[in-house]
Amino acid sequence: MSQSTAARARGGERMNFIEHLARWITWPRFIFALVMLFFLTSILFPFYWMVSSSFKTYAEIGGRTAVYVPGALRWDAYRELFDPNFGARFWNFGVNIVNSVKVAVPTALIAMILSVLGAYAVARLQFRGKSLMLNGILAIYLFPGILLIIPLFAMLAQIGAKLGFDVQDNLPVLILTYLAQTLPVALYMLANYFRTIPTEIEQAGLIDGCTRLDVIWRITLPLSVPALISVGIYTFMIAWNEFLYALVFLNSRNMFTMPIQINTIFNDPSPRPHVVMAASTIMSVPILMLFLGMERYLAEGLAAGGVKG
Amino acid sequence: MTTSLHPPRRASRWRSLDAREARLAWLLILPTALIVFGLVLFPAVFSIWISFRDVGLGNLHDVFHAPSVGLGNYASVFRDFAFKFQNLGNMGAAVNSIVYSFAATILTVVVGLIAALLLNRPFRGRGLSRALFLFPYVTPIVSVAFVWRWILDPRPSGVLNDILMRLHLIDAPNAYLATRGLALLIVIIFEAWRYFPFAMLMILARLQAIDKTLYEAAEVDGAHTWMKFRAVTIPELRYVLGAIFLLRLIWTFNKFDDIFLLTGGGFGTNVLPVLTYQFSFKSFDFGKGAAAAMILLVILIVFLVVYAMTVMKNVDET
Repeated sequence: MSQSTAARARGGERMNFIEHLARWITWPRFIFALVMLFFLTSILFPFYWMVSSSFKTYAEIGGRTAVYVPGALRWDAYRELFDPNFGARFWNFGVNIVNSVKVAVPTALIAMILSVLGAYAVARLQFRGKSLMLNGILAIYLFPGILLIIPLFAMLAQIGAKLGFDVQDNLPVLILTYLAQTLPVALYMLANYFRTIPTEIEQAGLIDGCTRLDVIWRITLPLSVPALISVGIYTFMIAWNEFLYALVFLNSRNMFTMPIQINTIFNDPSPRPHVVMAASTIMSVPILMLFLGMERYLAEGLAAGGVKG
Repeated sequence: MTTSLHPPRRASRWRSLDAREARLAWLLILPTALIVFGLVLFPAVFSIWISFRDVGLGNLHDVFHAPSVGLGNYASVFRDFAFKFQNLGNMGAAVNSIVYSFAATILTVVVGLIAALLLNRPFRGRGLSRALFLFPYVTPIVSVAFVWRWILDPRPSGVLNDILMRLHLIDAPNAYLATRGLALLIVIIFEAWRYFPFAMLMILARLQAIDKTLYEAAEVDGAHTWMKFRAVTIPELRYVLGAIFLLRLIWTFNKFDDIFLLTGGGFGTNVLPVLTYQFSFKSFDFGKGAAAAMILLVILIVFLVVYAMTVMKNVDET
């Protein structure tokens, strides 16, 4: 008897649960869940596939069927990228990581400094030709990178021949072109932020005998930390991800940034997708971590300036 | 004594301070201006000049003495089979660029709108979902393009082939990115997948700024969800949708990386930026490359003018 009551109780619970579910699921909720599921799967599956493929062996990659979960956490692909004794040709990937850092960090730092100065002038000071200059700077949105690269190459080759530097395999030249691409957006993002700071605070500083540069350094900048962070990350991401200019301006393998080296590995005559996926994981993880950590600063900046791309 | 940040010009005793401020402003903005004008605006003008010259690898370092070829480069581009329209299966880079940009931009805005509407309603895990939705947009293009290629891999170990074969929808593995027509469709879907978060962010920001009383008023009038969407949401979003469409159209039209990495411009997916690259850095005919880039820019400007004259006018009138 006690058994049957227990069974009835369980049955009742189940009925309740199903009833509960039936009451909870309305058509709008059902459609919402379905669409949400579709979005999350199609967004996350490629990322799962990238990371899981990087842990597969060459046999798992080239088999007769796809391997959905790697048999074990195999580091073969990563060893091909870093271990000179593993017998692979691409063991030098560490150099490419260093090159990417060497390009992205200076781009971000210089862009932050220059855009702070420029944005302050735009937001707070009056000068003739301001709107003309702003429109000129905005026009960069219109020009395709591919249109600029031919004249840029010819022009820098001329200047380089005069001043004695090489255009190709020259990381500072690459940094300069990235600055040209990122400064306009950085300047707009910062200028918009500076305008939200009440002028009274700066006036107080000026009355106390600070110079303009003092005011920028002691008052404006400390109040603009969120905008500065988002400009820094935005410019870092552009330089870290950039493909076309690096493809044209870099020629020798030990100067390649990560995107170009990954492109080289992909186009190798013997396809090694697990190595490509391992290198892609190495390139993407820092960016995604940075993004998740700083998301609250970034989302606004992404919407306001728009990563040109 | 009161100080104003922007003292009126007429007050003579402020004139010297005014001038000093203007000089400081120029000093502050000069580095940015030099870099942007020197590395963007000047090259843009310079490329017009190059497009009328015969520039190859041999005289790239002495480009100012390159011989003029008149309209030769342009004629050569227009005659090129990779450029001109032949038939619907082989549209050439010019028509392809237009089809691809419009289709990809429309799809991006529609998917972005759906995503924004999803995330606009409160539910548990909304913050995390929004962050995840942005992943395709912030990940380096090389990574995502090669993941897509690996998913679409023509070998049986390619996961799409594997799934479709397990479901008995296909008998043998397909090379999706090497099939005319299908390749173009996949590239368009890829664009929407990668860039919808941009549209989503901007639409979401606008949605959250809509006055709630508008919806309440519509409810009082007896409007259903769909009617509220049509009568309140869409009109409120019109400006932002128009702006996103324009921006994404320009950027998609100018985009090189995505198609270059996915198909290399083959199998009916060639577009003007990739064609420009091929002329310049595969056959090293920089003059012809510059001419292709100028044609790209002219088409873009025509779009902008037409857009400004029709769409903007309609928006103003209604």
